[in-house]
Amino acid sequence: MSVEYVLKATALMVLCAFITRVGYLLIGGYIPLSDNVKSGLRYAPVAALVAIIVPSLLPWAQGEMPRVGPELFAGLIAGLAFFRFRSILVLIAVGMGTLWLLRWVF
Amino acid sequence: MSVQLSTGEKSLPARLSIKKLAWLMGGRHIAPNLFALSVWGFVTGVAMVNYGLAAWQAVLISFLVYAGSLQLTVAPLMALNAPLWVVFFAAMIVNLRFIIFGASLYPYFRHFSVLRRMVAGYFLTDVGFVLFMNRFRAQRPGRIGMYYGYYMSASVLLWLVWQVSTVLGIYVGSYIPGAWSLEYAGVFTLLAIVIPMVRTHPMLVTVVAAGAASWVGQQLPFRLGLFMAIVVGVVAGVLAEKYGKQGRKTKKGGAK
Repeated sequence: MSVEYVLKATALMVLCAFITRVGYLLIGGYIPLSDNVKSGLRYAPVAALVAIIVPSLLPWAQGEMPRVGPELFAGLIAGLAFFRFRSILVLIAVGMGTLWLLRWVF
Repeated sequence: MSVQLSTGEKSLPARLSIKKLAWLMGGRHIAPNLFALSVWGFVTGVAMVNYGLAAWQAVLISFLVYAGSLQLTVAPLMALNAPLWVVFFAAMIVNLRFIIFGASLYPYFRHFSVLRRMVAGYFLTDVGFVLFMNRFRAQRPGRIGMYYGYYMSASVLLWLVWQVSTVLGIYVGSYIPGAWSLEYAGVFTLLAIVIPMVRTHPMLVTVVAAGAASWVGQQLPFRLGLFMAIVVGVVAGVLAEKYGKQGRKTKKGGAK
């Protein structure tokens, strides 16, 4: 990775971040959305978060078999712990504890 | 802390206090997430250096781009010296969701000046967005007084914690054993944000559909699966809402 390459890539990332994050806020007025789309957008946050979580808990590398491992069970137990105690710290502690324990056992 | 902010407007005292309240509320609501976010920021910093970026380069990217998932996607590509258009393309795919977020936020933010909208855009994050929508979705856009303060106090606090932890990760991360898998602490936190949001039947359908799509979507290049899963999840939620009213019963719904 040459410095020039990194700087060019950084400039492109900045451009990308600008287009995607600021773009709609600036020119959204010129792109009216139908009511269907608007109501659909309510589901976007949940879908986005799930789409970030699932590949971490259920990794499936390209050209390999899908993996079901400690990550998934740690996630499920952490989720249950959160459901019960409503505390993020409990969730992290239980999740990481389970993950380490399962990896140590297997 | 960032509780005080001059509004630059001649406001009535009552109005001013609403703004102050908004700043306080934003900070208070983001607070429970900050520890977990700091772990995630730390992990991002560690990862960037591990992929071969120099410390100053990683810091530069973190401050200019400020997008964790984008950085985690692009860093491995850069390590392979991938062509610049590939880097850009992958970054766009991962960040496409922010266009959807922007469309959701637009009705609330359209009254703001161009500068404020650009600032808001820079600070836009998944967690900040979810927090904002959870707070204001029920109200019709219109109570402009609270939006900016609430959004910015939550977002700026998030930004501070993120940057400090990322820089920490960049400089001390190489001493932390990779076997600890700290990145999962960040993933688990997201559960804490999702779980309370899944209250209705269509939301559950969204979770199942987006989950399945993102699982299978890992086979797609450039993390295209992330965007695909959002589209699938949204469409599934809308359909469930539409047809759920007639034929309620079937479907049980999975975990989480």
